[in-house]
Parts: sequence; structure tokens; C-alpha cells
Amino acid sequence: MPIPNGGLITETNRQYYAGAQQFTIGSTGVGQTFTSTFDTNLVFGNSDPATNDYNLNNFKIFTSPDANVWTELNPTSAIASTTGTTDNNAYGPGAAVTITITVANTDILAGMTIVNASTGAVYGTVTTVNVGNTTFVCNLSAQIPVSTGLRFQFASPWTEANNIITVNASLTAGNYIKIQMNESTLWDMHGDYSYTRLDDIINNFLIAYVGEGKLIPSVKRTDVIFHAKRGLQEFSYDTLKSIRSQELTVPDTLSLIIPQDYVNYVRLSYCDTQGVQHTIYPANLLSMRPYASPVQDDQGVPTQDSVNSNIDGTSGITEKWDNNNPRKISGAYINDYEIADIYWKTYYDGALGQRYGLNPETSQRNGWFIIDDRKGLFAFSNNLKQKNIILEYISDGNAYDLDARIPKLAEEALYAHILYAVLSTSVGIQEYIVQRFKKERSAKLRNAKIRLSDIKLDQIVQVMRNKSKWIKY
Amino acid sequence: MAINVNNVYQTVLLILNKEQRGYMTPLEFNKIGAQSQLEIFGTYFESLNQQLRVPQPSADYSDRVVNLDEKLAIFKEYGNATYSDPVFKLPSQPSGSSSATQQFTAVNPGLTYTLTGDALALSNAGAISNVFVNNIELASTAYSISGATLTLNTQPTAGQIIVVNLYQKEFYRLGQVLYQAGALPTEEMQRVDRGELYHLLSSNLTKPTTVNPIYTYENNLLSVYPTSITSGVSVSYIRRPIPPIWAFTSGQQYTFKVTESCNFELHPSEQVELITRILLYAGVVVKNQEIIQVAASQIQQENMNQKS
Repeated sequence: MPIPNGGLITETNRQYYAGAQQFTIGSTGVGQTFTSTFDTNLVFGNSDPATNDYNLNNFKIFTSPDANVWTELNPTSAIASTTGTTDNNAYGPGAAVTITITVANTDILAGMTIVNASTGAVYGTVTTVNVGNTTFVCNLSAQIPVSTGLRFQFASPWTEANNIITVNASLTAGNYIKIQMNESTLWDMHGDYSYTRLDDIINNFLIAYVGEGKLIPSVKRTDVIFHAKRGLQEFSYDTLKSIRSQELTVPDTLSLIIPQDYVNYVRLSYCDTQGVQHTIYPANLLSMRPYASPVQDDQGVPTQDSVNSNIDGTSGITEKWDNNNPRKISGAYINDYEIADIYWKTYYDGALGQRYGLNPETSQRNGWFIIDDRKGLFAFSNNLKQKNIILEYISDGNAYDLDARIPKLAEEALYAHILYAVLSTSVGIQEYIVQRFKKERSAKLRNAKIRLSDIKLDQIVQVMRNKSKWIKY
Repeated sequence: MAINVNNVYQTVLLILNKEQRGYMTPLEFNKIGAQSQLEIFGTYFESLNQQLRVPQPSADYSDRVVNLDEKLAIFKEYGNATYSDPVFKLPSQPSGSSSATQQFTAVNPGLTYTLTGDALALSNAGAISNVFVNNIELASTAYSISGATLTLNTQPTAGQIIVVNLYQKEFYRLGQVLYQAGALPTEEMQRVDRGELYHLLSSNLTKPTTVNPIYTYENNLLSVYPTSITSGVSVSYIRRPIPPIWAFTSGQQYTFKVTESCNFELHPSEQVELITRILLYAGVVVKNQEIIQVAASQIQQENMNQKS
């Protein structure tokens, strides 16, 4: 179905797959507006690519005479700029200077900025276009020399506010204009249908569960928002899929800053030359980063600085850990290549099960990490220096607006969570009703966990096939 | 959808005069009529609250909540709140003339007539209007008023007198407050008290955003949070009923003047209760205990029927 027809899908195929919304220009003129119907809100910084704010945009605007060849609409594009040469007079500076160009030009419009066609130097703006299109009243901040080649352009050929685009440049009837989402925005849009926005959850809850004749006759919207967000946080910790990950390189300092939206890690691993991940383990039993390492006097008493706080020294444990040889802890052989290629190893490498009695917790050659809570860092053992690390972690679903959504597979569980939370904190609700919804919440949460665990029949069958192998010993 | 003011007055006079109990002047009637209309109007909100707590039948015309909503619907309004840094002002706040009348002589062809002066000001403020052509009131669907232009749907005969009466809307109760910016979805605002506000602003989970805005309502002004919202706020509200006017030309006796009169705005189903309530006050005016007792017992009986 290419055209949304009242269902939950509100974007056209073109909007979803190509990230584009196209309009046919109905009439010629300036100041025309176009309304975006993307599910994703437009973000606007500036329409001039020469400005830094342009990088804030999550979309671009293109125009085309035939819907085939598209040109980005910016201050220098043909649709937003034109040229002209002044006559043998110098003009300005001044507030209402009338300048004359040698050839009439109907494309010059009020509001255009006047710049030197060669150097780009800005002279001022056109305030009024006189009849005949050869003379223009301008507000000039610098003098225009005689016979100067000028370019007239819109400093901001279009603007955007609240998903409505206003094109300041003159558009021609029958031509086309399109909103094109940037690639990273398009990534966010793809697969979005498997989620429901938290705002929709809140509205749906208020419609379906609150009102006269229902268990919750009335509830404050802010209460529902609180419970919905708390529910999303809780679900993020143990129910929802962890989708956050970062690929990083371990620097010579052997430490990486914890991500901004980090709540807990799922797995840290390094990648070998084949792109295979090797899990890095926490060095819990081996070492740690002290929260403080106060400088002590001869008696072992911490010493203070001029503002009466303990002086923090350098951690000796950290220094020793950073300089150790992890192979001496793990017992890994020197010629044991760090690659998931079984053909690198032979019987003579001593890597094929010939070693017995090792502590499995430390007998791994992947390396270790420590969380430095004092500095907010992940610290790695020195065999991981300059290695590619993948950090998989969970956030709480509330860090960014885009996060404020929940998989549809867990939508019902979130309704049950809000319902239970509201009922259990309301006065006058009988305990058996509270308990009923407590059980319902628990059951629906369990269902959500099973659904989100991605257990597919074919995958189970594939694992079970493996069981028919001979077990060698 | 209104109760004819002349019918009510004549009925009241008939009952009062039947046994020569006394007479009620038009001026007394207008005052008592306005009082009675407001009394009935004021009971809607409490009645609605009571009925919402009672299960209602789903059969047509018998759902009391729906019936009450139908009575209230006459007074439901929707308008924009205007920003006056740092607060929003509610619509339909009394200012200037409360009513205006303008008269035109119909021309042919001529479907449009231009309002001026107070009539124009009231029209721009979205006033309640009624239009008479040749002393006959037009249905609200037979004409439209937009800004300075009165447009009739059918051509009046040349020379006929067209009278336009405009009455200022007056804000009564605040309903929902909504926020919409551009093409973004409309968001409902949550009303909060000043005490709650500080807690909400302090909590990262519940602090107001443009998606979840909140407001405080103090001194007939809305303070909207987040404070970045400076436009796009609209409100649903209930306005006060327009006081009834039984207009007359003075002379030997009071002669009803339809073009300057204003009907009761209540739902037609309220006619009986309205007359009864006016009679109750009329009994006080003419100092007749019997009228007071009959009217009071009828009102009580009706209340019991409506709420039991």
C-alpha cells in the first residue's frame, strides 16, 4: 500500500525507503510553504551550507524542473541567486540607496543579499525592486564600486519551523521541490515501525484505562508520564534488547571514557583480523582501580592541601596493572595468535587441550577490563593496546528523545506496568485489585521477555542438530 | 436552539394573573430571567459530576450524561490564548461594549452588508449574533458574519429592515488547554498547582517539554511551561449565557419589540424549569406564598426525577 490510508503507517513508501517527500509547486512566487508529513520531526539549523549551523539540519531541500535532476536549494543555487552588473556609478554605503544595473533582471527580489560576484564580499540587501527591474532600493553597508559584477542571493533561501518549510526564493509553477532526509536520519527511520513512541503510549493509556466507569477515574498526565518513563527505564535494564554499542580503539593510556548514556555494560570484546569478537572479561578478582589514593605521611595518615582536602596521589596498583604482562596471568603461549582461525594452531603449539589444572577464570588470552568509577573510565589490560574494542551497553531509554520509544512486543507490558503503578499508589483501591494487576504486569513482562529474546524455531533446530555429533574425549 | 423570551414572559404573566395575583414588569422579568437562567446553567456542572459516577443506559435519549452534555454544548467554545509576556490571556474576557445593534436597509441585489463601530468590534471578537429581516429572526444557518461582513444566504426584498444584534461572549469556566506548533502534533497541557510546579520542574522525568507541556491557572492567566512556548496555545472553555431581554416600546402598555430582544440561550428542554424558577422569584416579588410553594415543590420534584 503506497499511500497511507488511516492505518498505523503514516509515511508513504518514498518517505520510508528513500527518505524523500516531493511536492509539485502549484503557483509561481516567493514565501511558499510546504508541510512535512514524516514521522520524524525536521531539525533545522541553517539553509546555507557555508554556515556551521547547517550541520544541525537532518534534511536537505532540493528543487527540480522535471523531478528527475535535482539541485540542492542553497544561497548560490540558480533558483535562489542571480547576477547583474552595476552601471558606471559607485553606490553607498547608505540606508536607502538606489542602484542601477545594466540589464533588467526580473529574478532580483526584495530581501536578497548583494555580494561581489568574484570575491563574495557582502555589500547589503535589496529592500525594494523598482518598476523595470533595473533599479533597486538597497540598504548598503559597503560601497559598490563602478561597474561591479554582483550576485543577488537569498542568504537564507528557505527556513523551517515546526515541520513547515517556507521557501524565501521564488519557485516556479510546475516545478518540483522535495525534502530529503539525511542518511543518519534515514537510519533512525528504518525499522521504526517495530517501536511505539512513549508519547503515544501515554495518550493511549489515558484513552483506554482512565475515565468514568473505569478502575482509574482520573489521573494526572504527569503521573502517567512518570510511570511510563520509569517503566521504560526498568524494561531497558532487563527486558528490552540492548541496541547500544560503540566501536572504539584502545589508546596508549589503556582507558576509554564511559559513554554518555551508559547505564551498564552487556559485553566488551575486541575484534581480531577476521572481525570475530573475543569477549574481554572483568578483572574483578585480579585488580581494581582505587576510588582514591590519598598521599600519606610517615604515620600513614592522609595529608591535606591548602583547602583542607586530602591530596590525591597516583595509584601504584594502577601503574603495576598497566605494565604487567597478561600472558603471565593467563598462561597463554607467546606464539598463540590472537585470531579465531583454528588453522593457526597445531599440536606442537600446545594449544589443543594439552594443559590441565588451569583456573578457567583467568586462563584466557583475550585480556581484562576494569571500570574506574572515580574517573568514569573503562581501563584495559595492556595486551589490548591499539585494539578495536566493541562496547555493548544498555541505556535507560530516556537519554534522548529518539530513545523514548518501546518495542511493540513490549507495549502491552508497559501498559500493565503503568496500570499497576497507578493503582498501587492510589488510595481506595482494594488490595486484591492491586494484586491482580501486579500479577498481570508480571505475566506480561515475562511474555515480553520471551518475545524479545528472539527464539526462532529454525535456530533451535540448528543448535539441536549439533547434538547428534559424537562427543570426543 | 433557544427558548423564546416572549413565550416565557407571556406564560409567566398568564400564571401570575390567572387569579389576579399581581403583575411582573418587563424590567423585573429581564432581571429574574437572567438570574433563573444562570441558576439552571450553574447546576449543569454539579449534575454532570453526579451523573458521571452513575452507570448510564446506552439507549438513545436516555443517557443523562449525554443529555447534560447536549445542554452544555450550547456554551462550549474554543479559542486562542494570546501571549503577553510572560503569560497567556484567555479568550472572551469582557472589554468594551457588551452588546451592539446595527441596522441596514436591504438592497437588491445585496447579500452582504458591512458592520461598523461597536458591531464591528464585537464581530471581530467573535460575538454571539442574531439577525432579523423584516422583524423575523433568521436561523443561524441563514447568514454568516465574518469580520466586518454580514452575508445573507437569501436575497431580502429591497427596503426591508435588517437588524443585527451582537452580544459579547464572556468566559465562564476553563476546559482543556492545548498546544500546537506548526505541523507538529497537538499536545494537551496538564494543569498543575503552584506547589506541584516546583516539584515537576525539579524532576528530570517529569519536567515539562514541548511534548508534555504544563500550565498554572492563576488570576485568569495561564503560565505555560516550558517557557519557550510563546504561541500556539488554545483553550476550550464554557462561556456565560447571554442575559435574556424582553424589549418593548413604551406607551400605554408594554409592546414586545422582537428585533431588540434576546432569547434565553438554554436548551429548549429547560423551558418548563425556567418558567417554574421565574415563577418562584415572581412569587417573592408579588409576595404570594402559594406561588412560591408550588414553584418550589415543582423544582424539587424535577430535581428528584433528574437525579434519582
